[in-house]
Amino acid sequence: MATQTLTTPKQKQTVEDKIQQLRQLYADAPEFAKTALENTLKDLASTAAQPRSRMESAGRTGVRQGTVSELTVIAPFAPGGAERLRALLQLRNGNFDDTDRVGTVHDMRFVFLDNDTKLLFATAYDGDWDIYIEDFVAKIPNEMDVLFSCFEGWPGIHNAKVKDFIANHQIPAEGWYVAHPDLTVRDVHRVKRVGKAAEEFLDKIG
Amino acid sequence: MATQTLSRPQQDQTIDQKIQELRQLYADSPVGKTALENSIPALREKLAKGLRSNESAGRVGLRQGKVSELTLIFKFVPGGAKRLRALLQVMGANFGTEKVATVHDQRFVFLDNDTKLLFATAYDGDSWDTYLDEFATKIPDELDMLFSELEEFPGFRDPSVKDWIAKYQIPAENWYVAHPDLTVRDIRRLKRIGKAAEEFLDKIG
Repeated sequence: MATQTLTTPKQKQTVEDKIQQLRQLYADAPEFAKTALENTLKDLASTAAQPRSRMESAGRTGVRQGTVSELTVIAPFAPGGAERLRALLQLRNGNFDDTDRVGTVHDMRFVFLDNDTKLLFATAYDGDWDIYIEDFVAKIPNEMDVLFSCFEGWPGIHNAKVKDFIANHQIPAEGWYVAHPDLTVRDVHRVKRVGKAAEEFLDKIG
Repeated sequence: MATQTLSRPQQDQTIDQKIQELRQLYADSPVGKTALENSIPALREKLAKGLRSNESAGRVGLRQGKVSELTLIFKFVPGGAKRLRALLQVMGANFGTEKVATVHDQRFVFLDNDTKLLFATAYDGDSWDTYLDEFATKIPDELDMLFSELEEFPGFRDPSVKDWIAKYQIPAENWYVAHPDLTVRDIRRLKRIGKAAEEFLDKIG
């Protein structure tokens, strides 16, 4: 247990301190929220003590749970950018086998905000921020430029400033939950293959 | 192939037309224009394959295969951001979410100087309504605590809660999932099979 830096009693104390602090903060919340807090405190204390619920840094910016990190970017569209991106996305209609090829993206969404003036891009990906971006730059630079040239000030994927552009518009999450923090996209491919092989095996001996 | 409504030549024609429209739209984007030209062959190929698509997740939002997206942006009540931040620091973003077992991931992002909350999740199911019903049945207290920091929140036991959510949901324009064929429970099952297979191989090895 080398990574466990807090002893259990000390950790418990920290959790209790934090819960006390929460009660104070919730003193001015609506009555039903206070009740809800009290009703859930028991579960809260045990959840907070579990290492699985802890968030860590995803590297330069953003947070990670286990092997899965989050990236949330909101940036203004360039003039005509929303129109271009919408046409491109309508054509793609969810087809992103280029992203499949990169193989580190669990999911991603494109959401248009404030009357098509801003784009929200949110993704769940495997591993460290820098490596993730570099992987995209190396594997699908054209696709990245077609998508993200819709942003005002996008420097181009081959420009050294592209990482700064992304980092400057990224807003790290305050809370991040992943159902299977122990599995990368590739791990899931592997367990699918194992599952299929196991079924075939059982069929043969059955 | 009952779902395939267009014949192959018709489909190709539609793709050509759409690519032509794209070229026109990208004409005034210096970076985008070149990149579009470079990626057209690959784009055409993937569209011809037509492996995946985006469908409706029900009342609001998109779905790919078994996995749907939900994106909400709410205004905080005064002091709400401060309370929610403290709550998230104590317990991370797992609010009995595991009990519901339909959530792949979820994030809480504070926007515009702590005046707004972005909540974005990937969940299982082809029905927005069923997803919300399950939450409201299984963890109403946790949800009340979370969302009480937001303007106009009626409480999760109030029947108007779905209208409140639908009002603040912004459907994605596009949604991609690496494994659209797997629910959270499917992945759990596969993990168990994998473990059992390893143990079995160890025993006979």
